[in-house]
Amino acid sequence: MEKKKNNKKIYMALGAVGRNLGLTLFGLFALFPLVWMVLCAFKSDAQMYNTVFRFTPTLDNFYAVLVRTDYFKAFFQNLVVAGGAVIITVIAGVPCAYALARYDFKKKEDVAFQILSFKFAPEIMVILPIFLIFQKIGLYDSYFGLIWVYQLITMPLLIWVVRGYFEDISVEVEQAAQLDGYAWYEVFLKTLLPLIKPGLVASGLLAFIFAWNSFTFPLILSGFKIQTITITALRYISSDTVHYGQVAVASTIAVLPEVIVALFIQKHLVRGLSFGAVKG
Amino acid sequence: MAQIELCNITKKYKKNTALDDISITIKDNEFFVLFGPAGAGKTTLLKIIAGAEFPQEGLVKIDGKIVNHMESKDRNISMVFENYALYPNLTVYDNIASPMRSRLYRKDENDIKTAVNKVTELMKINHLLERKPSQLSNGQRQRVALGRCLVRNPSVFLMDEPLAHLDAKLRHMMRGELKEMQTSINSTTIYVTHDYTEAMSLADRIAVLNKGKIVQLGTAQEMYFTPRNEFVACLFGEPEINIIEAQIYHESEKVYCKAFNQDVFLYPGTDVGKILTGEERSRVDMGIRGTDIEIAFERPGDDWLEGCVYANEPIGNKVIMTLTAAGNKIAITCPNDTKADLDATVYFKINMDKVLFFDSETKEFITRSDMKKYKKGEETDT
Amino acid sequence: MAQLILNQVYKKYDGKKKKLFKKQEKNNFAVNGISYTCNDGEFIGILGPSGCGKSTTLRMIAGLEKITAGEIYIGDMLINDLEPKDRNIGLAFEDYALYPPLTVRENLAFNMRAKKKAQNEIDEAIAYVAPLMKIDDLLEMKPSALSGGQKQRVNIARAIVRRPGLLLLDEPLSHLDGKMRQQLRQEIRRMHHEIHCTAIIVTHDQMEAMSLADRIIIMKDGMIQQIGTPLEVYDDPVNEFVAGFIGEPPMNLLHAKIVNKNGGFVFTFAGSELEVQVPKKYGKIVCGGMEVILGVRPTDVMITKKSAAGTQVRIAVYENLGDERRIAVRVGASLVSITTVDDVFYSVGDKVQLAFHEERTHLFDPATGNRIRG
Repeated sequence: MEKKKNNKKIYMALGAVGRNLGLTLFGLFALFPLVWMVLCAFKSDAQMYNTVFRFTPTLDNFYAVLVRTDYFKAFFQNLVVAGGAVIITVIAGVPCAYALARYDFKKKEDVAFQILSFKFAPEIMVILPIFLIFQKIGLYDSYFGLIWVYQLITMPLLIWVVRGYFEDISVEVEQAAQLDGYAWYEVFLKTLLPLIKPGLVASGLLAFIFAWNSFTFPLILSGFKIQTITITALRYISSDTVHYGQVAVASTIAVLPEVIVALFIQKHLVRGLSFGAVKG
Repeated sequence: MAQIELCNITKKYKKNTALDDISITIKDNEFFVLFGPAGAGKTTLLKIIAGAEFPQEGLVKIDGKIVNHMESKDRNISMVFENYALYPNLTVYDNIASPMRSRLYRKDENDIKTAVNKVTELMKINHLLERKPSQLSNGQRQRVALGRCLVRNPSVFLMDEPLAHLDAKLRHMMRGELKEMQTSINSTTIYVTHDYTEAMSLADRIAVLNKGKIVQLGTAQEMYFTPRNEFVACLFGEPEINIIEAQIYHESEKVYCKAFNQDVFLYPGTDVGKILTGEERSRVDMGIRGTDIEIAFERPGDDWLEGCVYANEPIGNKVIMTLTAAGNKIAITCPNDTKADLDATVYFKINMDKVLFFDSETKEFITRSDMKKYKKGEETDT
Repeated sequence: MAQLILNQVYKKYDGKKKKLFKKQEKNNFAVNGISYTCNDGEFIGILGPSGCGKSTTLRMIAGLEKITAGEIYIGDMLINDLEPKDRNIGLAFEDYALYPPLTVRENLAFNMRAKKKAQNEIDEAIAYVAPLMKIDDLLEMKPSALSGGQKQRVNIARAIVRRPGLLLLDEPLSHLDGKMRQQLRQEIRRMHHEIHCTAIIVTHDQMEAMSLADRIIIMKDGMIQQIGTPLEVYDDPVNEFVAGFIGEPPMNLLHAKIVNKNGGFVFTFAGSELEVQVPKKYGKIVCGGMEVILGVRPTDVMITKKSAAGTQVRIAVYENLGDERRIAVRVGASLVSITTVDDVFYSVGDKVQLAFHEERTHLFDPATGNRIRG
């Protein structure tokens, strides 16, 4: 009996060690590209190919990217475009999601699917006609044009998640609030908004990240006036040589907002999306 | 303080008719019960009065004013929803305080506190004030919903199955509390239930609904003693009323019935006999409640019928015995020390003065003994 | 056909489950040392509020939960470490876990097919069980086409089709509506009368337990409160909990103080002027100043309108339910309910006098809840 108990303890200890080992390995595997990128950012072009972990760190790349080019302008413009896209999405998407959840109209499910299907089409497929149209009507290379077209990326996700949230709230809660003496906008602000908040925050931030990362649209639809950082990063690949160090710096800084956002809202994100996903 | 008039209300969902030409006038200060099986349209009717649903046809009037197009917040109504409809993000306290914090019915925080404390004490939920609805049991949620409804003094209370999810004990207690409160609240109340004891106990008047139509409108006593048809008779009473098919025989002046293929003559009261003689019937449905049948283990006389024990269920203060006779089941309420073996033969006697007679084709009520007594009850009530 | 014996059975949940059972954190035992014997062919009802450990007990008997300590025997066989499939137990849950792609007949046959029984044996067993549960007409249907009540019939039929030694029913009727529940209750009872297996039903509905069981085990907080026939637990409860749990409408339980008056004893109630003579049978065990809980069933309270010397109380609630009338009066903060089948009419506010059926009053100790016997 005593022996049996001892054996059990040993097995449990072994199990714990094994689990932790596995997790560590996975952590290394997942984080390695990021680490590699950061390392590259500190390497000079000369040491780029002949060193791994031991090299003389230099800030030359940072200097080259941040001071000698207008990287910050691109960073700011990216912020405006992605942020603007999310704001428009929230303003238009929440009422749309509400309508899809609550009202019964003809072809409702078809409309809902249509919105979702924007997400299916590869961007490259629609980019050429949009490019031509935008040039004709003067939206090419403008904030407005980009924000508009970004709705294709941000809107479907938000509508789909928030609709699930609205469907989870029983109609009676709204009716109760009305009987309690609240006008419709108060019902929305005081009762519905707090209830959809997790989904709204999660899908809004995810939409922001998607918009932030978008590459195809700004590549074609923006020129000199508006530049996003995903495009800017390409500039360091010149015809004769590729400045990997500078690309790494540009990417590292581009990733920062996302990492910060992700860390802050980690819990929110998982809970918010999985809750909606069950219904949606 | 309001009189509610419903005129020819019709409500359809796509092709289903939920309510079909309903007209009722609910008097000021009346406790009015909408009673019926699931899917009868009770909740829909309630929501139409609340302004949460809109009828395709018909008028809703509160105090003579047509309110079809009035928003629900302006109708001064408070309602208990069957699924509670509590605000999940608010605590119990804030849920109950909510009606008094809206712009229309605003009160200052001190008054709110006294009002909430009073109502939560009554509902026995004052220890739960800081909890969120997700941390409550269904019974507690229901009491919070009831509390939110009662905290204000509206002109109309609407209650949709407010006791349905409570356990038997709590339901019994809360019914008592509601009944007692009834005298002190000066408001018209419309109460939806599918529990006949609640309906009978609380109602000034009852409307029995079935498939979107009103089957019968009247007091609890009318429903119980002179139901309009077999459907209504079966809804009131536990165990359910026994419906027995009987043959009518005319014998000179007298009329007698036979049932269960047994050679026992059942003589209805003379007043009933007259009516049955007048109509040329050969068959009739007799409705008889379990309390109006006597039981014996040896045949005491010729007018006793024979049956076979199918089930014998002691439920505390009484025993429900179910007999079979010629394929029919008859439920009988017996004293709580009655014991019988299954499949034993027993004898029973129907109290013919308590039998309700129904048409065997249309299932409509024909007559019963002492109609005058029950009619008189109707007059005093109205 | 078997006798079931439970001997000092304990169940403790550890780890994360503890949070789910907050109430039991003090002792941590979901089932706390219960022992009883079900005789062969007996129908036992385990009754208790939610979280009292009744379902856990059943699941331990079925082998779905491990037993923390104690022994369970079926007949002479210790079954603690036996796999559920080897215990010869038929089990019907609250949710009708029927296999949706199979017809009712296949559902019934499923288990016996798994045990490689001969086809004619299976047919015979189904032919015997189907009329018992009134599902003859449903045999070729799929579960999705059945109503809730029909599904539960099939479910029970499946539990008894291979004639287990022990039949376990876990809240089989709680999903059904009133009428269906009453009907199925009768049929379960008749089925048991017919096949006469040892059966256990777990329920929180006292009416269900009373009408089905030969003997009832009342549990609370993992412990057995009382074991007895329906009439015994109704008429002779051992403590306040049982008294309050059995009976509908429930027994009136009033906090009372015993006071010496005119050489005798009377009950007095806080916040009320009502005084009730202490029944003679308690004369020797009570003393002045003693606090008790007085229990009396609504049917054992009498109302008189006569304005004799006694204290009068005010009628707070009057309900006419057709075949009986329920009346409630305020005594202090509590409502005392009275049920009568007499044709009496009162209106709220009427003054009446109360009398208790002396032989049928019970006293309980306010501290422990235990019965004080005269």
